[in-house]
Amino acid sequence: MLAMNRNKVVLTSFCILATAVIFSACRDKRSTGLEYARNMYDPIAYNPDQANKNFANGQTAQTPPKHTAPVGFVEEDVYPNTKEGYEEAGVKLINSLPLTEQNLLQGQHLFNAFCSPCHGKEGDGQGHLVKLEKINGVPSFHDPEKTSSRGGLMKDLSAGKIYHTIKYGVNMMGSYASQLSPEERWKVVLYVQQLQKAK
Amino acid sequence: MRDISLIVRRVWKSAFMFTALSVLIVSATQAQDVVEGRKLFKDNCNSCHQLDRNSTGPALTAKLNELDEAFAIKWIRNWKALVDAGDKQAIEASKFSAAEMTTFPRLTDDQIKNIIAYAKAGEPKKEGDKAATESASEGVSSFSIAGVAAIILISIIVLIVLGRAIKMLERLILQKQGVVLAEEDSVSLGTGVKRLFKNKKFVFFFILGLIITLGSFGWMGMWDTGVHTGYQPVQPIKFSHELHAGTNQIDCQYCHAGAFKSKNSTIPSLNVCMNCHKSVQATEKYDGEISPEIQKIYTALGYDPATMTYDHSKEKPVEWVRVHNLPDFAYFNHSQHVVVGEEAIRKEKGLKPNEPVCFACHGPVDTMEEIYQYSPLTMKWCVNCHKDTKLEVKGNAFYDKIIEAHEKIKKGEKITPAALGGLECGKCHY
Repeated sequence: MLAMNRNKVVLTSFCILATAVIFSACRDKRSTGLEYARNMYDPIAYNPDQANKNFANGQTAQTPPKHTAPVGFVEEDVYPNTKEGYEEAGVKLINSLPLTEQNLLQGQHLFNAFCSPCHGKEGDGQGHLVKLEKINGVPSFHDPEKTSSRGGLMKDLSAGKIYHTIKYGVNMMGSYASQLSPEERWKVVLYVQQLQKAK
Repeated sequence: MRDISLIVRRVWKSAFMFTALSVLIVSATQAQDVVEGRKLFKDNCNSCHQLDRNSTGPALTAKLNELDEAFAIKWIRNWKALVDAGDKQAIEASKFSAAEMTTFPRLTDDQIKNIIAYAKAGEPKKEGDKAATESASEGVSSFSIAGVAAIILISIIVLIVLGRAIKMLERLILQKQGVVLAEEDSVSLGTGVKRLFKNKKFVFFFILGLIITLGSFGWMGMWDTGVHTGYQPVQPIKFSHELHAGTNQIDCQYCHAGAFKSKNSTIPSLNVCMNCHKSVQATEKYDGEISPEIQKIYTALGYDPATMTYDHSKEKPVEWVRVHNLPDFAYFNHSQHVVVGEEAIRKEKGLKPNEPVCFACHGPVDTMEEIYQYSPLTMKWCVNCHKDTKLEVKGNAFYDKIIEAHEKIKKGEKITPAALGGLECGKCHY
């Protein structure tokens, strides 16, 4: 009688423990779990990604007012996103950055992050997305026969034209103005010009 | 029943394969052209033209079907010459959009004919693939699992019922034989429990078990309070990091550009999505329809994919749910970690050269179909890493400045708080 009871007791305690472990293991991944004094953690000020009823469009993140620029933001002479603007930028826009190893390295890093998915790390138009056939028809920078849709050979495009294209985009390529600051764009231009010379 | 349907499917499949094969053989001479045309189309035309919809240029299949082939060849080779020569059809066609088409003077007649053949034939259907994936997905469906579970459950119930019936019958036989059965000591549940609780040993173990259970629950609850490890909220768009960062190998920085130059790793605005999704619509996976998830981007932007125009009055922001909620009293700077500390963090966390430094804290994002919080983001977690990581000072301009300042202090030269970063806004305003 006693032996049987002991078995029962061990079994019951084991069951209780097992359920405890199982219950503690299944935590709801959609919830942040138990919180205590959340107001100590949450900001009093609005986060940019929060809704905000103080603005007409209900967002905290507002578009900056026109004709304003962040501190330290230098924009070159503005050439509009037209055929004339493109041609004019091609002649008048000059890269103020010197061709140094550091600028080239940074240009390469930015090119690899922002441009190489389509244009390829060698600038041959064979980026990973092109190989997967998700994006197609990306011209090579150094192919001696590849023409730009806006005239001239790809390998002859001037620094100003490349800058204008990065800033506004062309055809299916979008604008990279929001991802690359003017200085970063010029670094990318320096690197693209090296790729144009590649064989 | 299942076997029959399987056999039928197999017969169907082989019949289909046979017809497909014979069609292929018959059209082999033409197929060569189409394959060549497809390659030329992808290399030269696809950046501006789609077969089935307007893009920078018009939808090609429809356009080429309506055009005379001789004119189409001339147009593709050098449309500007046609317009300059005053060709009325060409002048009309050039008004499609402000964007000018590239000229292709180097393409031969045969090459252009191949492109036209491909554009008219359309993308070869991948029926074989579809059938394969269908049968694969049917292998272990949730339906069959439920079926197995139901069968097991039913058989258990049957066993219990049968067991009871056998017992009853045995008792009946014994009764008939005139054996007087001792009343089975079947105790009712209530008295059983009462008897158990009179047993001191049981009471001891029961209380011990209770303390351990409640204690561990309480401990784990307190331990995890405010810790969001594994938090994986449902996002308004089913964006897959596994697809974008894994399969497509897009750099983290492409979308989260802010991580390398500011405190925040920015959530990309929708124009970044549109850099690719202006052309990538995954229509091949949705029977020619735009993927419903990509459509959500278009809806949020007020973008009409048919006309490729934006209606800004219809804009509505996508309300992403923030996954990483660092307390407001903790200051964390992304750029300081991924730019200044990159090498040190890579070494400490043992990252492979092809893995971005972001994986050190965010985990294998390229395998996360849905993003979740990988690290606990607790103070202990921060402090432990800061205690163990060896700084990589050499060739790091950030530390050069500190060393320079220390040299000045050693020599007793004048040094101001500004030289030690005292003009950083965040030193006073946070």
